[in-house]
Amino acid sequence: MKRFRRHGQESHRDRIKQELYQFNKTVEHGFPHQPSALGFSPSLQLLAIGTRSGAIKLYGAPGVEFMGLHDENAAVTQIHFLPHLVELVTLLDDNSLHMWTLKAHKGVSELLEIGRFTLTGPPGAPPSVTRVTAVLAHSSGELLLLGTEGGHVFVVEVPGFRELEERNISLEIVTHSIPEEYGGRRSLEHVESLQENPANPQQVLIGYGRGLMVIWDLDCQSAVKHILATQPLESVWWTEDGLRVLSSHSDGSYCRWSVAGLDTQSEQEKSEVPYGHFPCKAISKVIHVTLVLFSPPLRSSPPFLLFSGGMPRASYGDRHCITVIHSKTHVALDFTSRIIDFFVIRDGPDQAGEPSALVVLVEEELVVIDLQTEGWPVIQTPYLVPLHCSAITCSHHVSAIPLKLWERVLSAGALQNTHYSKKPWPITGGLNLSPDPPQRDLLLTGHEDGTVRFWDASGVCLYPMYKLSTAGVFHTDADPNDNMNQCTEGEWPPFRKVGCFDPYSDDPRLGIQKIHLCKYSGYLTVAGTAGQILVLELNDESAEQAVEATVADLLQGQEGFRWKGHTRLEVREEPVLFPPGFQPFALVQCQPPAVVTALTLHSEWKLVAFGTSHGFGLYDYQQKNNVLVRCTLNPSDQLAMEGPLSRVKSIKKSLRQSFRRIRRSRVSLRKHHLQDANARLEAELAEMELAPVQRKIEARSSDDSFTGLVRTLYFADTFLSDSSHNTPSLWAGTNGGSVFAYQLRLPSVERRAEDLVTAHPAKEIQLMHRAPVVAILVMDGHGSPLPEPLEVAHDLARSPDMQGSHHLLVISEEQFKVFTLPKVSAKMKLKLTAIDGSRVRRVGVAWFGSSCSEDYGESGLTVLTNQGDLHVVSLPGVKMQVHHPCIRREDVSGIASCVFTKHGQGFYLISPSEFERFSLSARCVVEPRSLVEVPHQTPTSLSRAQPDGASEYRYEQPERSSARRVMEHALLNDESEYLRNPVDKLSPV
Amino acid sequence: MNVLSLYGAEFRRFSVDRFKPGKFEEFYKLIMHVHRIANMEVMIGYADVHGDLLPINNDDNFCKAVSTAHPLLRVFIQRQEEVDYSSYGTHSLTRKKKAVVTLRNDVNRKRPHIRIGMPQDFRPVSSIIDVDILPESHRRVRLYRHGSDKPLGFYIRDGTSVRVTPHGLEKVPGIFISRMVPGGLAESTGLLAVNDEVLEVNGIEVTGKTLDQVTDMMIANSHNLIVTVKPVNQRNNVVRASRISGSSGQSSDSSGSSGYPSLSTAAAPSAHGYPDELESDEESDIVIESSLKRPSRRSNASVASVASNASRSHAQAPPPAPVDSPGPPPRPPSVVSTVSFHSQPSLNSLSNHGSLSYKLHRDLNLQHSQYQHHSSHPALRESNGSLHKILSTMRTDPRHSLALPRGGVEEDGTVITL
Repeated sequence: MKRFRRHGQESHRDRIKQELYQFNKTVEHGFPHQPSALGFSPSLQLLAIGTRSGAIKLYGAPGVEFMGLHDENAAVTQIHFLPHLVELVTLLDDNSLHMWTLKAHKGVSELLEIGRFTLTGPPGAPPSVTRVTAVLAHSSGELLLLGTEGGHVFVVEVPGFRELEERNISLEIVTHSIPEEYGGRRSLEHVESLQENPANPQQVLIGYGRGLMVIWDLDCQSAVKHILATQPLESVWWTEDGLRVLSSHSDGSYCRWSVAGLDTQSEQEKSEVPYGHFPCKAISKVIHVTLVLFSPPLRSSPPFLLFSGGMPRASYGDRHCITVIHSKTHVALDFTSRIIDFFVIRDGPDQAGEPSALVVLVEEELVVIDLQTEGWPVIQTPYLVPLHCSAITCSHHVSAIPLKLWERVLSAGALQNTHYSKKPWPITGGLNLSPDPPQRDLLLTGHEDGTVRFWDASGVCLYPMYKLSTAGVFHTDADPNDNMNQCTEGEWPPFRKVGCFDPYSDDPRLGIQKIHLCKYSGYLTVAGTAGQILVLELNDESAEQAVEATVADLLQGQEGFRWKGHTRLEVREEPVLFPPGFQPFALVQCQPPAVVTALTLHSEWKLVAFGTSHGFGLYDYQQKNNVLVRCTLNPSDQLAMEGPLSRVKSIKKSLRQSFRRIRRSRVSLRKHHLQDANARLEAELAEMELAPVQRKIEARSSDDSFTGLVRTLYFADTFLSDSSHNTPSLWAGTNGGSVFAYQLRLPSVERRAEDLVTAHPAKEIQLMHRAPVVAILVMDGHGSPLPEPLEVAHDLARSPDMQGSHHLLVISEEQFKVFTLPKVSAKMKLKLTAIDGSRVRRVGVAWFGSSCSEDYGESGLTVLTNQGDLHVVSLPGVKMQVHHPCIRREDVSGIASCVFTKHGQGFYLISPSEFERFSLSARCVVEPRSLVEVPHQTPTSLSRAQPDGASEYRYEQPERSSARRVMEHALLNDESEYLRNPVDKLSPV
Repeated sequence: MNVLSLYGAEFRRFSVDRFKPGKFEEFYKLIMHVHRIANMEVMIGYADVHGDLLPINNDDNFCKAVSTAHPLLRVFIQRQEEVDYSSYGTHSLTRKKKAVVTLRNDVNRKRPHIRIGMPQDFRPVSSIIDVDILPESHRRVRLYRHGSDKPLGFYIRDGTSVRVTPHGLEKVPGIFISRMVPGGLAESTGLLAVNDEVLEVNGIEVTGKTLDQVTDMMIANSHNLIVTVKPVNQRNNVVRASRISGSSGQSSDSSGSSGYPSLSTAAAPSAHGYPDELESDEESDIVIESSLKRPSRRSNASVASVASNASRSHAQAPPPAPVDSPGPPPRPPSVVSTVSFHSQPSLNSLSNHGSLSYKLHRDLNLQHSQYQHHSSHPALRESNGSLHKILSTMRTDPRHSLALPRGGVEEDGTVITL
C-alpha cells in the first residue's frame, strides 16, 4: 500500500516536472559562422544563407527565421530558390544537391529537406564530368540545369531530381556550333555560369570558363548564338530586356554584348577595365539594372551597374569592394571582410521597379545599403547582426526591464544610429506568428575593445539597442577621430567603408570581463581586463565630466610578489564629454591590475563589490571610497601573483627545454651513426605520440594555484550574527573553496553621504573539498532566493520572509551545499562531481512557471556543467530535477559563454558570432513561429494581398520592422497592466 | 584474581574481581593509586597467554586481559614518554626460541629489524573491501587519505580493454592506472598497480565516462577514495570464501571491530562503512565565526564546535589520547597471518597450515612496507629486559587471537596467493 502511494507521489511529481521544465534549443541569434553561399527569392522575399558547416538559414521579415542542417558536414556552395515556389536547391561541397521546402504544419512553416541528388556520369567517366559548377533553376520551376567542370550541362527535372538525359547539352554539340578558329583544340573548360533569358525562358546562356558564351535554345535543342570572349569568364548577367549580356572577366574587365540581332555571333558593344591601366583583380560578379518602365509617366532612369572586385592588384588588391555606378555617382564600397555574394532588391510588385537596396553578404556580416536615399546609407539589420564586431568577452542578461529604463536606453541608442537609413527593412517575406514577448529582456555583451552592447533579447530577433564605449575614460593609442565614413576627396577608386566588423582591439586591457546592471536604478558597473571597475549612471543628457579614480590595493602588504602582467590603464585627468546614455562617474582600479573575476552592485546600498585573483574589495560609489579591501592570496601562490605573462614565459621555458632536448639528441646524432640516431629519434617520436594523455589523481590542497581567485560576490540582507536582527552582508567565494562573509553597517539614509560604511568580518567557511565556489545564495524563511535590490521597493517582488530562518546555499564546482544561518552548520547537500564526474561551470537562479496553471511555479537553479549538460536543481531542497545534454563538452568557449535568464532560458555562443538560445522552462519559450505561403504563379495576379510578403501590400507596411511593432505592443500592454495592477506586475513569486 | 603490577622496579599486588572487572578507567585509576603516580601519563601493558606484551588501554582489551589472565594478571606500567613501542608484541624474546622459528625460512630471520609503532599511531591506509560481493578478478581498494601527508599519488589514462559480451570479445575503451608516484599512498599500499583497469569510483561505474570525468570523480572523492580495479596481475587475486568458512570470516571480522572502535569515531570518522555511511563529519567544513559584538579588527574567532571537530580532521588528525583511542594491539609475526584470515576469511578453510609459511613470508614483506614508516620511535631498550622474562610462550593456533581489531584488518588487508 505504501509503495503504491509513493509511486503515486512520484508520478505526481513527474507530472509537475513536465509542466515546469521542457528543454528546447529555440533560435540562433547573430551572424552565421563562416557563411559560404547566399540566395534570395524575390517572390518569397526570403534570404537564404548557407554555411561551411552545412547549415542553411532563411530570413524574411524580422522574426521570420528558418534553419536547416545538411546531414553531410560539407560546405554549402550555392543556393537557388526555384522561381515562384517555396522550394530551394542547395549545392554542397561534396557535389550533392539538396531540395528543401517550407511546409506549413499546424499553421507554422517548417524548413524540410525533401530530396537529395548526386549527378552520375557515364561509367568510367572522370569525376570532373559530373562535378557541378553552375546551377540554373529554370523559371518554369520544373527544370534544373547543372553545368559541370567537364563542360557539360545536365538537365534534371525537379522536384523529383529525374535526369532528362535526352535534353543534356554536351560539350561536343556546343563545340560543333562555334567557329573552328575559336574552339581550336583547347578545351572550353568548365561551365562558369548559366543564365536564363529574362525575356525568353527558352533561351539559356551557357558561359564557359575560357570565355565562350553560348545561347542555347531549350526547345529546339540547339545553340542559337555564341559570344566569343577572349578573357577567362567570371560571371554573366543578362539584362532584363533580354537584349544585352554583360560578362565579367578575370583580368578585371567587363564587357557588354548585344544579343538582339539574328547573327549567330554577337558583337561586343563595350569593354572596360574600370580600375584599369595597371593589372586588376577579377570582377567576380556583375549586375546591371535598367529600368523598363512600361507605364506612364515614361521616364528613363539611368541604369545601376554593380560589380565586385576589379581593384588594381598592386595597390588595392587586398580590399573587398563592390563598386556601384549610377549616373554620375561612383562609389567603391569597401567591406570589412571577403565578399561571399550580393544581390539587388527592386521595388514593385514583380521586382521590376527601381533598385531599392543592395544586399551584400561578406564573411563576417550582412550589409544592406539603401540605394534610394541620397548618400546610399546603410540600413540597420534587424537580425544577422555581427555580435562579434569586436570579440565578445562576457555577457549579462537582465530580465523584465522596467519600461522607463527601456525607453531611456532606446532613446540613447537612437541617437547613436542617426547615420543609418530611415528606410524599413527591405526583406519582408513570411508572416511572424510568434506571440508578443511577455516582457522586455536585455542582453548585455562585453567586448574586447571595451564596449558594452545592449541587445533587445525579448523576442526572436536579437536587436541592437545601444552601444556603450568605456575607452573614452582612458588614454589609449586609438585614434578618437576614427570615422567609418571617412573619405578623402579625389581618391581613386572612391572608397567608402561600410560595415561594423572590427575585430582589432587597440588595447586588450580595455576588454570587458564582468557586467552588472541594476534595472531599477539604471546604475551599471562594468569591469575589465586591467582591473578597472567603472560605475555608470544613465543620463539622458550629454555631460562633460572627469571620472574620479580610486586605487584598491588588493595585496594589503603581502610581500615577496612581483606583478609581471600588464600595467594599469591610464586615466584621463581632464573632463571627457560623454554622450547621452550610460556615463561613467566613478572608477576603481585594482592593484595589481589583474583581470576582474567577480563583480556585483547593490543599488540600494550604493555599493559595488569586485574581486580579482588577489582579493576582493567593496566600494562605496556614493562617497567614492573603498569600504573594504581583503587579500585572499595564498602566500605560496606565485602563479597568481605574477600575472598572465609569467605563464607565457613558462611555456617559453618549456619550449626552450624541448629545443634543448632536440639539440642534445642532435649532438648525439653526430657522435653515432646517422641512421642509428635517426631510428632512435623516430622511435622517440613514436613514443611521444603513443604516450597517452594521463591525469594526475590528487586531492586539492591549499597550495594549489589561484586558490585565492575570487569567483563570486553576493550581497544579502540576512541574519549573520544572530537570528533576530538581519543586517546587510557581503559574501565572497574563492577558487580554493573558501567563503568569506562580512557584515556591513550602513549609515542611515540621511547620513548616508557623510558617515562611512563599514564592513566587519563575520564568518569564514572553508569547504573541505576545496572546490571553487561558483555561486552563493541566501534563501529566506520560505526557501525562496532573496529578491534583488530595489525589487521589493518597486513592488515587483514579495518582500523576503524574515521570520523563518534563512539558509545559505554555497555552490561549488562539485556540490550544492545548504547551511543554516546565522550559525553556519551544514544542513544538506547535493553532490555532482562525485557522482557523475561533471563540474558546475555556470549557475543561475530561475523561476519556472507551470505551463498548465498560471499561478504555480517553483524557483530552481539552472546549472551548466563542464560536460555541457544542463541541469535544473530545485530550491530550497537542492534535488536534481531534469538534465539535458546541450553543448558539446569539447566546446569550451560555448560552455564558458553561457548566460542564464531569470526565467529558465539561456544563451551560449555556438561560434564567435552566434548565440544559441535555449529554454528549460515549459512556460517561457521564445522561438520563431512564422508562415510562408506559396506565391501565385503568375505575377499579374499579385493585386491580391497575400500573406507571404511577396506582394506590395506587405511592402507598404509602416516604417517599422515588425520586431519593433511587437515591442511597442508589449510596451503598451505593460503600461496598461501597470495601471490595472501595479503591485503584482512581474513579480516572480 | 590477583594482579601483579610492575612500575619501574616497584611491584604492587592487588586483586580485582575476575567476573566483574569494571571499566578500564577505574582500573587505570586504581593502578595510578596503588603506584602513587597520579599525575603521570602511563601506558599499561600485560603479558598474555602467548607471552606477548599487550597494551591495556580500553574496556575491551582490559576485559580480555582479565579474562585470559591465568592465574595472575601481570601488568607492566611505563611512562608514556618512555614507552618502548617495539617491546610490544612482536619483539618478545621468547619468540626466537620457540617453534615458530622453525616454521619460517631463513629469509625471515635475516629480515631487518623492524619496529612497530604504538597503536595510537596506527591508522588505516588502505583496505580491500567487498571481497564477498565482487568477482574474484576484481579488487575494490579503499585509500584513506585523511591524516596522511602523502599524496594519493597515481595517474590514470585512457586505454582499451577487452570485454566478454554476448557477441564475443569486444574492445571497449577503458580507464587505466598509468603511473604511480613513488612514495605516494597508492604505491605504498601495494594494492594498485600500473595498468590496472579502473572499473568503478566510489561505487559508480566509469564506463562511458571520459578521462577527465573520471579524474574529477576521483578528486571529488579523494578524502575517501574507493576504486574498483581489475588488476593487471591476476595471480594475486583474493579467492572468494567457500560456503563453509564464509560466515566465520564475517563474524570474526565484526568481532574484531571491538578493538578499534574509538579511532574510527573520533579521529577517523569514515573508517567504517561504505559508501553511504561515509557522510560523516569527515567532510565537514571549517567555519570560523567572528564575534560581532565588538567589531574590532581582532579576529576573535570563537571556534564553534563544528570547527573544532572539522579542524581536527583538517589538521591531519592529531594523535588522539590513549584514553579515547586505543589502537589495535600490535601482533607478533605469527599472528600476522591471522590478520589475513580476517580480511580474507576464505583462507581459513583452504589452507590453514599448508601454505602458512609462504603466506607469512608474503605478509611480512607487506607489513614491512607499511610499518617502516612508523619505525622512528626512540626505543628504550634497557627497560625491556624484565618484561621479556615474564612473557610466556607462544601458541601457533591463529584462531585464538580473535580480538584482533578490525582496524588492523583493514590496515593490512593483504594480498594472498594460493
